[in-house]
Amino acid sequence: MSADIFDREWDVIVIGTGIGGGTIGRRLAEQGLSVLFVEKGPLGQAREQHYLRTDLADPFARQVRSLWPKPVAATLDGEEARFFAPIGSGVGGTSSFYAATLERPEPHDLEDEPSRLHPTGGWPVGYAEFRPYFDEAERLFEVCGEPDPLTRFSDPELRRPPALSLDDQAMTESFRQNGLHPYHVHMAVRFVPGCKLCFGHKCPRRCKLDGRVAGVEPALSSGNAVLQDMCEVRSIRATRERVTGLEVFHEGRTKTLRARTYVAAAGALGSPKLMLASQSETWPNGIGNDNDLVGRNLMFHLTEMVAVWPKDGKGSRGASKALALRDFYHRDGQRFGAFQAIGIDASYGMIVHYLNGLFDRSPLRRLPALRQFTRIPAYFAAKIFGSAKIFAGIIEDMPYSGNRVVLDPDDPETIRFNYNYADELHRRRRLYRKIVRKGLAGHRAIFLTLQPDLNMAHCCGTLRFGDDPATSVVDRDCRVHGLDNLFVADASFMPTSLGINPSLTIAANALRVADKIVQRLRQSTRELVRV
Amino acid sequence: MAVAVVTGASNGLGRALSAEFTRRGIAVVGFGRSAPDLEITAQLADSALFTPMVVDVSDPEAVAHAFDELGNAIGPPDILINNAAVHPRIDIAQETAEDFMRCVSINLGGAVNCSYAALRTMFQSGSGRIINVGSFADQAPLSGAGAYSVSKGALRIFSNTLVADLGDRFPGIVVTTWMPGILATRMGLPEGLDPALAAHWGVELALCQDPAINGTMFERDLQMAKPRSAKRRLLDKLLRNNTRLMRLTSPATV
Repeated sequence: MSADIFDREWDVIVIGTGIGGGTIGRRLAEQGLSVLFVEKGPLGQAREQHYLRTDLADPFARQVRSLWPKPVAATLDGEEARFFAPIGSGVGGTSSFYAATLERPEPHDLEDEPSRLHPTGGWPVGYAEFRPYFDEAERLFEVCGEPDPLTRFSDPELRRPPALSLDDQAMTESFRQNGLHPYHVHMAVRFVPGCKLCFGHKCPRRCKLDGRVAGVEPALSSGNAVLQDMCEVRSIRATRERVTGLEVFHEGRTKTLRARTYVAAAGALGSPKLMLASQSETWPNGIGNDNDLVGRNLMFHLTEMVAVWPKDGKGSRGASKALALRDFYHRDGQRFGAFQAIGIDASYGMIVHYLNGLFDRSPLRRLPALRQFTRIPAYFAAKIFGSAKIFAGIIEDMPYSGNRVVLDPDDPETIRFNYNYADELHRRRRLYRKIVRKGLAGHRAIFLTLQPDLNMAHCCGTLRFGDDPATSVVDRDCRVHGLDNLFVADASFMPTSLGINPSLTIAANALRVADKIVQRLRQSTRELVRV
Repeated sequence: MAVAVVTGASNGLGRALSAEFTRRGIAVVGFGRSAPDLEITAQLADSALFTPMVVDVSDPEAVAHAFDELGNAIGPPDILINNAAVHPRIDIAQETAEDFMRCVSINLGGAVNCSYAALRTMFQSGSGRIINVGSFADQAPLSGAGAYSVSKGALRIFSNTLVADLGDRFPGIVVTTWMPGILATRMGLPEGLDPALAAHWGVELALCQDPAINGTMFERDLQMAKPRSAKRRLLDKLLRNNTRLMRLTSPATV
């Protein structure tokens, strides 16, 4: 069986099985194309439920758990740092661990609005063209939730969410008294009996819809797709016109895979890394990188964690993931993002984990003996926050060409990037904290984020799409400029980072790109028949 | 209905465990090497709930086959008690390496064979309970019991490796090592503990599915404290982390 996949020519090979890869593979397979998913990590066990561990250092143990095996190497504001980022490496990709927040962007996230100008002048494809794909992605991921009361753009038809808990009702009431507009967050969860809201964890019940459950598995059931796990794509081989094959490492050997069309969906860190590593005489700077744009404009989000108590002072009983609001999304002419309950208990363990993450990225990391003392503030934090709800505010990141995924000179497997915090981002963060504090007036609220905290799971922008090959890597169909048969279907294509979790946008775009691929393949087949 | 596999069910503690499980309405598949001895266990247990299987646990193929068979006939096991063991006393001057490894292949190998076979279905359900019956023989080995001591020490490490591999991924699969103490059985001493009492604790422990006891050790009816560093002890004191050790309930009549 394993030999066959290397002998045949597939209609499409999809590299990576996260939200983007899973979704595009599903659509292509359901359209009758033969699809091969190539995944670096393992298939994993259906009933696994471990969390996205950053406290485990052994690369083998990490890979078995579908975690990216090696630490990320980053130069942050000129300082070298190595840490385990929240990046998955297995079927489902990072989405196996995600919080299943599938929110729609707003029109001004994609295009100019009179009072809300777009930072890059707008995406090459506007909101109207994306809209049917948002609808479709919400259907495939079985998204439930309430429409945002502030929505000015569309009224998505979502499944009904479960009723709010008493805690969340109290919080809703108390937010409304402040003139805020809370709603039930949009989430891709089936709420099967026994659902434990596996956010940050792998879901053992096929209840959370991720790249695996909503993508790879339905694709495999169509009978047209095959999955090859533990198979690392090391290089894309191409002429100046088209990709001719993938050099992969599988079962200890280098092998070649071939297809009519190739889709890079290895994530906004993985896909540019692979393209940069695909160097040859034909592509001396890496494939598609003649203009030195591959990997540039890397964006994350800043996350501001805030503990909030409802006004009436009643303590809450357990974590909530239900509430979101967009009152701070775009304020004072500035772009921020959604404000959402994070669904993680303010437990001692979670706080230690969070503080250790902060520690590893702070200058204190040079004194590792101090790391254990994060337990002490965590202990008191757990006592205090045990009765609070923890919210995360998203602050949109802007594209800067100096923020970039680069090839690690010593080890092509290592994810390496350079990132500088823009002054403008620091300013927006300060303004955001002020706006949130004011918005929550009357509530006891404590900001938990001591310094700008990059949400690396929301990385995007590194292969931006555009009509001009001089300023973009892929075209409006997400096909690499100048290459006939290489497409991108992960968060790399996004020219701006939006004010929400990018998952729904990645899925919607993957469906859109799938339609373009199907059109092209059918067209070329017709032409062949005519000849 | 829950299904338990008890190895070494043809004698001693295994026989008492089988009887105690069935008394509580839990179906038992008893592994043993002697059909007549398993028949005696069946008579002591609720025979409607007891299924004897003649299996040599040191044979991985036979064990895999037995688990397939019992899975089809009764259902995949929820509980596995790796109890089968031999305790040969032999002068090292007379012992061969083959003798040594034969003992290890039963005491350690048997637990490995049965655990791996049981885990195949426990991975499917995401839950399960494994108890490895341990001993302190490795801490102060007796003369002439090297193979036994090595195998029991390694068995405790085996519990730890299972937890390292499964603890975070499958918190519903709970593994503990249990030292029942010296029993009044063929392998123990006449003045040892009544195996029926030990079996009562063993079944209590097997029915405890709390992930918090994953990877812990129990001696008789009491959870053993995990060894802590001096720093850890100080920190626990400062933070008032009083981890309470669990005591298994004893039968009301004792």
